[in-house]
Amino acid sequence: MKKCMFVLLILSLFLTGCWDRRELNELGITLALGIDKVEDEYQVTAQVVVPSEISSKTSTGRSPVTLFQATGETVYEALRKITKISPRKIYPGHLRTLVLGEDLAEEGIAESLDFLSRDWEFRSDFFVVIAKDMTAAEVLNVTTTIENIPANKMFNTLKTSEASWAATNAFILDELIANLTSDGKEAVLTGIIVTGEQEMGSSKQNVESITPSARIEYNGLAVFKKDKLVGWLTEIDGRRYNAIVNEVQNTVTAISCPEEGKATLEIIQFDSKMKGKMNKGKPEVDINIKVKGNVGEVECQINLNDPETIVELEKNTEKEMEERIKSTIETVQKQYKSDIFGFGNAIHRSNPKEWKKIKEQWDEEFPEMTANVKVDVKLVHTGTVGNSFLEEIEGR
Amino acid sequence: MIRDVKINSYQFLVLVILFTIGTSILTVPSALATDAKQDAWLAAIFGTGIGLLVIWLFITIALWFPNLTYVQLLEKLFGKWVGKAFSALFVLMSLIYASELLYYFGLFLNIHMMPSTPMVVLSILLAGVMVMGVRLGLETFARTAEILIVVFFVIFFILVAFISPEMKFENIQPVYEMGTKKIVQSSIFYVVVSSVDAVVLLMIFPSFINKMKQVKKSFLLGNLIGGIVIIVITFLSVSVFGVEKTAGEIYPSYELTKRINIGNFVQRIEGLMASLWVITLYFKTTLYFYASVLGMAQILNLKDYRPLTLPLGMIAVVLSLVIYPNVMYQQHWDSTTGNSLTLSIGLFLPLLMVVVYAIRKRTKKKEIEINE
Repeated sequence: MKKCMFVLLILSLFLTGCWDRRELNELGITLALGIDKVEDEYQVTAQVVVPSEISSKTSTGRSPVTLFQATGETVYEALRKITKISPRKIYPGHLRTLVLGEDLAEEGIAESLDFLSRDWEFRSDFFVVIAKDMTAAEVLNVTTTIENIPANKMFNTLKTSEASWAATNAFILDELIANLTSDGKEAVLTGIIVTGEQEMGSSKQNVESITPSARIEYNGLAVFKKDKLVGWLTEIDGRRYNAIVNEVQNTVTAISCPEEGKATLEIIQFDSKMKGKMNKGKPEVDINIKVKGNVGEVECQINLNDPETIVELEKNTEKEMEERIKSTIETVQKQYKSDIFGFGNAIHRSNPKEWKKIKEQWDEEFPEMTANVKVDVKLVHTGTVGNSFLEEIEGR
Repeated sequence: MIRDVKINSYQFLVLVILFTIGTSILTVPSALATDAKQDAWLAAIFGTGIGLLVIWLFITIALWFPNLTYVQLLEKLFGKWVGKAFSALFVLMSLIYASELLYYFGLFLNIHMMPSTPMVVLSILLAGVMVMGVRLGLETFARTAEILIVVFFVIFFILVAFISPEMKFENIQPVYEMGTKKIVQSSIFYVVVSSVDAVVLLMIFPSFINKMKQVKKSFLLGNLIGGIVIIVITFLSVSVFGVEKTAGEIYPSYELTKRINIGNFVQRIEGLMASLWVITLYFKTTLYFYASVLGMAQILNLKDYRPLTLPLGMIAVVLSLVIYPNVMYQQHWDSTTGNSLTLSIGLFLPLLMVVVYAIRKRTKKKEIEINE
């Protein structure tokens, strides 16, 4: 009996398996998905890695990714239909970027997202972006340099530009759905476009020249109302949006010098606090922004050795930023009437009882409400030099 | 034979902790967030408080006759036939819950990890270990629990430490919007799952425990520690995901582990994290099963409960496959029929026992007075 058990135990070490096993060579690893609406049907485009082309040993110089496309009545159906073209079943577990077409966004994105949040293979850590003035399929059809795999390029570009330029927003699916479902905040998504000659984009020659003929670029911020695209914010407004919702980590911004010319401020610490309140029955928000930065560049005549100049520069910057942010808020209030900043949520947090009353009319309240912006700028240092050599040139 | 089995108060503490966390760690955050919204974690705190009162009631009842199990106690208080009828109901409840947890286990793996493995295979796997544990006896699986609780808490602390950078405090504001009434109402489900269900532990407590004095404390302490784990998990779910997603997910705490990403290096460790649920689910299932097997043996006045383990184990597996037609039915059943079933056996029956005990004591006293 004991011997029998022993043999069984030894055997179980080697005979393990898994009912749901799927070997690596059965998976079509998909790094980017695109969803478009084409004549009432969903068109799903999958950018699938060609495994032999990413290892340097077996690479023969063909494209490292390939596109599969299928249409269906629902997203899931379309995705499964891809098996008609692809030798391997699509595996979305490593998905990095989801591109939604503009046509789809105008009709509403919510229906197409349900599958992505429901299916167990999807993880919610991929970024969602919107193709601006084109279909998602066109965006996915462009080869890229440095990062061989376009999906990785899109992912990393978005991440770095969010971290050090702050005009784009890297939204993962969960955050997007949270914004879509929230009463007091509307969704935004970063736009993506292809610049240059699109037709050249998909060929290998595109990346063989120093300047590729077609490139993928992030541009603008799509404003949503419920789940429908209502318009685009420019890049500059996009940065101010990030300032309001405290998504700025590090960025540079041009500021005016006291007399004429420009200087650049590098922001190293940024903190924005939004507080809602009720003033005589009317909703209001206070936005308090604390900025810590350095003088990164001087292109004008100022005397940086004088502490007064720094104070003056700080004051100027504060005033300018306040005005810019206010104008962005006004644009959104007047033009799009969509509470993308989450003012409603701020009021819900501070005045839950009053929020219940105004919740229903929030669409009318939002364009009328006041936003008080206060910016506090502290300049810490001026880089490796004090006064600019520009002064020396001028003084000659 | 059964009488010789004894575990110490620390082992009992460990069993209580694992039992309290049990299935709650998977389902409670979403159930609480559905009703109490961003105050779900407050509901968990209230629930733990109410739960401690329930446990205190259990302790009081159990300590009237420290040598009897719950089934024997029922017989002693209500007489042979009524007592046996109540006991049969109790055994039935334990068996249903044991198979319910087998279903939970299969469903969880089916949804999140192995969609094409038939559920019967998963049920048999867990049931096999469960039957084995019960056959080997209380002492053996109490000692196993002693080892695995360390694993559990190590993984749990890793989870808490790694997910805490993702917390957003805006998600839990405004605090206390729902008001006391709503919060307490929504915590009922949690009290039932974590504390009222603990009535099955009266099959172990206090008759199989060697040191009477500390064990009272370890019952309460175990429930409290388990409660704190649930409070932390609920708080993390709501503060990381916000209300809508926590309420919408079927297993929010598993979704939490998917979010772990430390420097693009420590990530995709949810498979490892799933051992949290496997450990607690296993012990809760085994305790239910142990209670049903031992209870049945005592109703039938058997000397040993072991012959019952295999047939009842098979019944549990089959029951786990047919008990719910689908997951929505299960959630509905849990919050309606399941609640009433647990409450009637775990709360009203003990309260009835208190009444009966008080009356009997008085009549006994009177009898003595008359005799004098």
